[in-house]
Amino acid sequence: MATKKITKKKGTKPEKKKEEKVKFIGKVTKVRQFKPAMVIEWPRTLTHVHTYGMLSPFFEGLRKGELRATRCPNPNCPENGLWIPPRAHCPDCHTEMVWETLPNPVIGKIYTFTEVVYAGAGIELSTPYWQVDVEIPGVVTIPKSYLLYGKPYIGMKVKAEFRTKNPTNTVLDYYWVPYEE
Amino acid sequence: MIRFKEGNLRIPKWNRKVFIVAGGTTAYRKYFPEYKLEELVMIAFKNMLEDNDLKMDPLEVKGLINFAAYGEFADHFQDQLLCQAKVHDYLGLDPLYNVGIKTGGATGGSAVLTAAMAIASGYANVALVAGWERMDEVDTRTGNYYIATAACKDFETRLGRIYSSYYAPMANRFAWAFNVSEVTRAKIAVKNHLYAYYSPYAQQPGKYTVEDVLNSPISAYPLRFLECCAMSVGAACVLLCDEETAFKLTDRPCELFICGGTHTLRVADRRPMEVPLLPHETPEMYKDLYGKEGARYPGFESFLASRFAAWLVYRMAGIQNPIEDLDLVELHDAFTISDLQTYGDIGLRPYGQEADYIESGDAYYINPNTGKPGKCPSNLSGGLIGTMHAVGATGIFQAAECLWQLQQKYDKFHGDPKIWKKWGKEKPKDWQSLQIPETAKQALWVSHAGVGSHVTVGILRKAW
Repeated sequence: MATKKITKKKGTKPEKKKEEKVKFIGKVTKVRQFKPAMVIEWPRTLTHVHTYGMLSPFFEGLRKGELRATRCPNPNCPENGLWIPPRAHCPDCHTEMVWETLPNPVIGKIYTFTEVVYAGAGIELSTPYWQVDVEIPGVVTIPKSYLLYGKPYIGMKVKAEFRTKNPTNTVLDYYWVPYEE
Repeated sequence: MIRFKEGNLRIPKWNRKVFIVAGGTTAYRKYFPEYKLEELVMIAFKNMLEDNDLKMDPLEVKGLINFAAYGEFADHFQDQLLCQAKVHDYLGLDPLYNVGIKTGGATGGSAVLTAAMAIASGYANVALVAGWERMDEVDTRTGNYYIATAACKDFETRLGRIYSSYYAPMANRFAWAFNVSEVTRAKIAVKNHLYAYYSPYAQQPGKYTVEDVLNSPISAYPLRFLECCAMSVGAACVLLCDEETAFKLTDRPCELFICGGTHTLRVADRRPMEVPLLPHETPEMYKDLYGKEGARYPGFESFLASRFAAWLVYRMAGIQNPIEDLDLVELHDAFTISDLQTYGDIGLRPYGQEADYIESGDAYYINPNTGKPGKCPSNLSGGLIGTMHAVGATGIFQAAECLWQLQQKYDKFHGDPKIWKKWGKEKPKDWQSLQIPETAKQALWVSHAGVGSHVTVGILRKAW
């Protein structure tokens, strides 16, 4: 693209401002490269304030070493199983669900799994680790979690455990360990 | 259990026919500092207006447009809310109305569906569909973090922070349930990287072997890097119109049918149900399939959203048996496993026999078993693994590739040395044409989001 010099018109001096000039109070932006196009860095840090809403009992339960699920109390609803992840409202009949605590020990079975080797930024678990999807008796869903130690296989029995000491206040506060009867 | 009621299963019907007449694209790269986003969209837009042999002056064609649907996956990547307004103005289309569409990886397909509804309803005679993604403002790990926010933020994101870790469990379950070897997945990667080798737009072309794929580093077991798409920058567009305008603009328009389906964002929440049967399927086919302990449909093996979209669009377009009726498919191979799973969903093979579509050679341009043309080749564009996944553009790029194939323009858009040069590349000396035969009539493309949260299945049919 051609650039053209702009010549100033004579006799149009801007008036001098008496007030204080506006200052730049930001951080000077770094230039990464000038060719073939100018590329700058644009750093930022953010904090979001996030509510667990009507699912708060689930996360409070984890802090106490309890796995809590929801169930639709409507006797006419076709779905009467438990939900983990829980839902406050039944997707089939829209009735407000009720909470139930699963009695410990909660024993599940691995439905499938993966070993997470390369994870994205912000990962809070040390890699590599085993991510597991676990079937729990009476629960209609197959929630995703992780295996604290051991090597998973499809059909493997596992027991839920909880991070009640120094909880992260996230879904990472429950996990599974190998279970032998 | 999902139970349908009658209205839920109504087959969509256009009020008037819808056609695609032209497509445009940029090349796709991991880093594209040479151009700003709107500049990339302009390049694709010009490619669409100027290089598709339309029978009117490009600016006259532009003068027919009265609606635009724009696809963009994530504001996180663009870092620009209302990016559509910026692009629309840059293309010189104000004050025509435009809408922004966001359905994850299915954004492109959903944008095409939106524009098709505008044509079918009579809101527009000519509608632009354009899509883009600029994924190079952040490093790859941060990009993966952004994409993983398209998993449930409360119950899944923290468990992976990378999308491969949401597909890998499906791959393990699929292999276990249907006794599928890793080699089949690797063959998909080999095929699509190779087809990308012939595309001037491709980001990850390569001549690899099955061993190369299986020996490449693991992202999330069992998925290797060579089985995964990459962060991508680029833009694509297609032009939709009504029947009268279509034939005014070209002698080779394609009629468009497209439907969508959705299913849970969390794979966890997929409740078991009966298989919705495609026109050529019977309940007996699946009598014994879900006999294994814990086996259920769709489980982690299949995508209900894809099946539902195919269920609708096959009836809308009168497709009786996809493997017989279709001449080309462009599937959403973000990962080899998602490609493999989809073969069952869209009925190229019955559920449980997906691997046979690859092993039989039907999926290839030239069937490696017979040396003859594959029965219904897949992803001759190079797909997402080989060519591109600039997410908002993907489902639009796939539609353009299907169009060019049916119009017999594969060579024009892939073989011209000038196009290679335009994108700073040299056409390979051993370049070969992947043009499907002139007898081909119908092509299908799948645009797919999340772990199957949104899926569109589109069909293009020769109208001349």
